[in-house]
Amino acid sequence: LGAAVGGSPASDGGVGPMTFSCHTLDKATKAKVTLENYYSNLIAQHQERRQRRQRLEESLREERITEEQKSEKRHQHAVRETEFLRLKRSRLGVDDFEPLKVIGRGAFGEVRLVQKIDTGHVYAMKILRKSAMVEKEQVAHVRAERDVLVEADHPWVVKMFYSFQDAVNLYLIMEFLPGGDMMTLLMKKDTLPEEVTQFYVAETALAIDYIHKLGFIHRDIKPDNLLLDASGHIKLSDFGLCTGLKKSHRTEFYRDLSQVKPSDFSNPMDSKRKAESWKRNRRQLAYSTVGTPDYIAPEVFLQTGYNSSCDWWSLGVIMFEMLIGYPPFCSENPQETYKKIMSWKDTLIFPPEVPISEAAKDTILRFCSDADTRVKNIHDIKALPFFQHGVDWNHIRERPAAISVEVKSIDDTSNFDDFPDVDLKISTAGSLQASNKDWVFINYTFKRFEGLTQRGPILK
Amino acid sequence: MGKTRGRRSDRSDGTEQKLYLQLPLLEMRVPEPDLIFLTDLPGGLDSKEWIASHTIGFFEHINLMYGTVSEFCTPSTCPDMTGPGNRQYHWIDDKGKKARLSAPQYIDYIMTYAQKSINDDTIFPTKHGLEFPATFESHVKKIHKLLFHVLAHIYHMHFKEVVLLQLHAHLNAVFAHFVEFNLRFHMVEDKELEVLDDLMVALKLTPPKQSG
Ligand SMILES: Nc1ncnc2c1ncn2[C@@H]1O[C@H](COP(=O)(O)OP(=O)(O)OP(=O)(O)O)[C@@H](O)[C@H]1O
Repeated sequence: LGAAVGGSPASDGGVGPMTFSCHTLDKATKAKVTLENYYSNLIAQHQERRQRRQRLEESLREERITEEQKSEKRHQHAVRETEFLRLKRSRLGVDDFEPLKVIGRGAFGEVRLVQKIDTGHVYAMKILRKSAMVEKEQVAHVRAERDVLVEADHPWVVKMFYSFQDAVNLYLIMEFLPGGDMMTLLMKKDTLPEEVTQFYVAETALAIDYIHKLGFIHRDIKPDNLLLDASGHIKLSDFGLCTGLKKSHRTEFYRDLSQVKPSDFSNPMDSKRKAESWKRNRRQLAYSTVGTPDYIAPEVFLQTGYNSSCDWWSLGVIMFEMLIGYPPFCSENPQETYKKIMSWKDTLIFPPEVPISEAAKDTILRFCSDADTRVKNIHDIKALPFFQHGVDWNHIRERPAAISVEVKSIDDTSNFDDFPDVDLKISTAGSLQASNKDWVFINYTFKRFEGLTQRGPILK
Repeated sequence: MGKTRGRRSDRSDGTEQKLYLQLPLLEMRVPEPDLIFLTDLPGGLDSKEWIASHTIGFFEHINLMYGTVSEFCTPSTCPDMTGPGNRQYHWIDDKGKKARLSAPQYIDYIMTYAQKSINDDTIFPTKHGLEFPATFESHVKKIHKLLFHVLAHIYHMHFKEVVLLQLHAHLNAVFAHFVEFNLRFHMVEDKELEVLDDLMVALKLTPPKQSG
């Protein structure tokens, strides 16, 4: 196999057309991507290091301490920076983490509770199979995830510490949120009371607003991606991987709707049966690579473009599900759901047998409406009728959560489902032959400054 | 000075048309001012740690670059390990014995040696709190010297392939970074570097030399 590369940029330097093997061309691409990435990271690291130094100097200016103490603090800072350099050099791998338990499963892999062997610190490790991602064309989105996660350092976003890869998998090491996810919570409860719903929707709104201010659109806000920390407050997980690229998020998937069998929903079920059937199928949906389109805004399916307000639609769908027990467009199959979302003006119905307040209804309808009449930002949301009483927007995270989470230890997984029959050994062998598209994952390695200084007790 | 004169008649010393000095090919993927501040030791940081992380970077990237032309660097195309100006390099083994190796063999030795050193926790400690050994500097200097031989060989024999692969701006960036780093930390001796003096001047990394 060979590919000819002709037309050299330097015409008279004796550079003529030549033939390169695909292998060489692949290596050249890998070299390009690696180097470009290396230097842009080096520049970013340089700037971050300068900012850390500036922050130190600012805080020293404010503190009333002697020059001697100041220089001691500068010294400690430099020591930490040096440790950080070493951390980046260290070859972090799967073997540095002891797997404790599988706590979640997604379309491209699973999430485990792990303990870093040398420090004893507990983390959540998300494992993504490269082959599945290349197949499903998820690769462009890995980068997006890396970028936002490195930047995001905020109470509303799951904190990321390290990432690394081997020939088979990508690994993301993030803070472990012992409270479980909103999907699991919603499956345990029939519905949530209005005050509880108000709390979760308000917190999720602040979280979404935060990532919008960073310049990101999530596009796949769903209960699975709302995690609960040890005190029961919301954090957003999962940027990028799920951003509208699952089958169920693509229009092509729905192009041929003729094969869709008319579903049971043609003879309407009562809301109780609907909720039961929804909850029965829900977990399977979460694990499938097809995914569920239930929370996706109608304009995201269209080629005409969308903006950050699509995330507010998803929040409206979640709020409906919290109060009613199932999301408004749920159906037996994704095609049917898609049809319902596209004709939401007829299908968004509040079942009379599950009474909710007018304020709640009005609020849902301001989230789930045409993009131009929909709420646009946190300012609009604070003005909605449902939030007029009982939300302390500025201190909501510091106050007790609506439902408190019970966590007995840093590695307590009682808020997660059981995944009994899984092998804790991670298969990195088998397809040891790295894909020749491996360079697409080059961006996928980072280590976080604080990662080094986090130390916890060794368990067991 | 060059140890042995080359036997290749088509490249008689001094008059060779160096492709890598041609103006359109002097692009650099990373602007030079960036490379300067990127190599400066940030205040207070441990210089060994700084040198270690750069050395690993240079090893990985020069290895990557050589990998893209290795298909064209065979015992028959490159029976000797050469650099510009027909500089010849001889491998010196553990016992101090000189060996004449083909370029691919020589480079394979270099990369194996560098990889082994970098992975050796007693030379490049990765664990928290472990000190660098007293011999760290001599190890690192040797790695830099050998990596420079690889750069010299790529520029001398394989720059054409690099250009066709559209990688010359990347190679120049790696070279410039290597040189900038060297200007600060003096890893490689001038008599090694001189074979690419003209490129350093052309890339404006160093001022032109006064004397000939
Ligand atoms: N940091 C974390 N701490 C605790 N549990 C987590 C964490 N991250 C994920 N989980 C659990 O794992 C489940 C699956 O994780 P996640 O949604 O990130 O993966 P995914 O389903 O593969 O992503 P996608 O949304 O692309 O399908 C979550 O619903 C949650 O229960």
